[in-house]
Amino acid sequence: MTGITPVVGQILGLSIEAWIGMIIAIIAFWVLATWALFKTLRQDERKLELVDRQGKIETYSPQALQDLRDWIEANPDDPLVEEARAEYNKCVESLNEVDEPFYDWSQEKIDNLEKL
Amino acid sequence: MSDAKVSRAEWGTRFGFLMAMIGAMVGSGNIWRFPFVLGENGGGAFLLAFLILLFLIAVPGLMAETALGRYSEKGVIGALRDCTGPGGMAGLGVIVILVNIALMTYYSPVVGWILYYMLQSFTLEFTAAGFEAEAFWTAFTNSPGIMVLMHTIVMALVAGVLVLGIRDGVERLVVYAVPGLVIALAAIAIRALTLPGAAEGLAFTFTVQWEYLLISDTWIAALGQALFSTGLGWGIAITVGSYLREYDDAPLGGGFFTAIGEASIGVLAAFAIFPLVFAYGLDPDAGAGLTFITLVQVFEPMPIGDLWAIIFFVGFFLAAFTSAVVITEVTVTTVFEESPLSRNQTVLAVTGVIWLLGLPSAYSVSFLDFADFTFANWGLPLATLAVMIGIGWYFTPERLRVLSVNKTSGLYVGTWFNPIVKYLIPVVMVGIMAFFAYENFGTNEMIAGVAVLITFPIAGYLIMNYFDKPEATTDTAAPGGDD
Repeated sequence: MTGITPVVGQILGLSIEAWIGMIIAIIAFWVLATWALFKTLRQDERKLELVDRQGKIETYSPQALQDLRDWIEANPDDPLVEEARAEYNKCVESLNEVDEPFYDWSQEKIDNLEKL
Repeated sequence: MSDAKVSRAEWGTRFGFLMAMIGAMVGSGNIWRFPFVLGENGGGAFLLAFLILLFLIAVPGLMAETALGRYSEKGVIGALRDCTGPGGMAGLGVIVILVNIALMTYYSPVVGWILYYMLQSFTLEFTAAGFEAEAFWTAFTNSPGIMVLMHTIVMALVAGVLVLGIRDGVERLVVYAVPGLVIALAAIAIRALTLPGAAEGLAFTFTVQWEYLLISDTWIAALGQALFSTGLGWGIAITVGSYLREYDDAPLGGGFFTAIGEASIGVLAAFAIFPLVFAYGLDPDAGAGLTFITLVQVFEPMPIGDLWAIIFFVGFFLAAFTSAVVITEVTVTTVFEESPLSRNQTVLAVTGVIWLLGLPSAYSVSFLDFADFTFANWGLPLATLAVMIGIGWYFTPERLRVLSVNKTSGLYVGTWFNPIVKYLIPVVMVGIMAFFAYENFGTNEMIAGVAVLITFPIAGYLIMNYFDKPEATTDTAAPGGDD
């Protein structure tokens, strides 16, 4: 064993290119993966807490619900349109019944929603 | 299909689901393959190409598969039947299952090798006086009895976990095994980085050689790593996604975290392995032999090398074994749903068939190499193509996006998703198969690959056309819909 100091010196002495590669690797992979892990676990925790308290939560974000509505209107004869409509209406019902939505819904947006 | 018996289990926790996805995809390939492919293809330049392809293809593909699994709440054949309707075209799911079984027949013997090395690490074999790695490997691979025994033990262990079910078996295994693997690799990386000469390994692995971005081989290597290490199209994400709970998220956990998390473990392996290889003056271009011949040599000169050998091989075994369990679960879930067998009978039947068909690969390393080359280059792209045809051309990506991908999602997925699933991934899969056919034109491997490309779809179509009568199912989506 030659001790840790020379090793640190060797690592610090790496080329700029090697440092760029290492930083890309750490940020692009470990930082992003850790962020995604904590974000999804925190969302899960919040959903469970809201479901425990309110019995349900809405199933779509404002943008996703708008996409669903656009698709239903554009595809009235699709074999899955009834299922899509039921999903849409279930989300609208939930938004009208819950005290606190999971997604970023304003009261104004909720008030303007109509079932299909 | 026996709908009456399908009362679906669910993951107990989001963490369990995430670890199952990661555990399935982080296999032996991540530990030995990612570091040396990275080192041989321009280091940072390869990472950049890999990242682009990971986000462009693997992440949307995994999102699509997980969302289909969550939507259908069925195994691979059932999920693809929901896309195509009943009958012959549901054979797309049969293709995936056939490829999955084929993959496991040679993967189980490899897990058996790792099990053998792990057991030898406990007997302190790798640090014994006069230990010679190459002679040890040669003696092992010339002992078919031991290799068959290891394959048998692995399949028995897989069956044992699967008999316990999704929560008590698979989830309980992965929530401990995957963090255990990460801890083992992190410990090795910390130890490796404190060795004199470690910096050379980091320089080899991470030096950005920008000119590599202009070489097609870099992009092909990055594509192979991005697609095959994430298990896209193997039916894993469909199966794991089918056990999601009502409010779980598919894109963030099932696509984004899985792809990035799986690649992160490959990067961690690079931090662990190449500093070790360079610190002890070993050959970094050892390729597939890196783990079994090159790497076992580092433990003898290393202080408390016995302990590090145990940590390394336990981690390596956990990575390989969790993949084997979850990959086999894909077939178990599907066969259970599609047959009159109970779950335990299904587990025994599936693991028994894999064990039997795996005997040639367990007996002969050259047969295993042949099977690996054939199924990795033609079988897996064919399975991915089958899944993406089902989603992209029958169900349609837009229907999946509005009905399932963005439902209870933590990430909003826009319409960019549609052309990737419908066009880009299928074209890439066809391109991969054509590339390998061209590169290996006229070889036995190419002939076997073409045979797979012809027989598996025909077998799938005929099987489902014969057994899957339209009246058997009622909840199918007709082809079509807007994109």
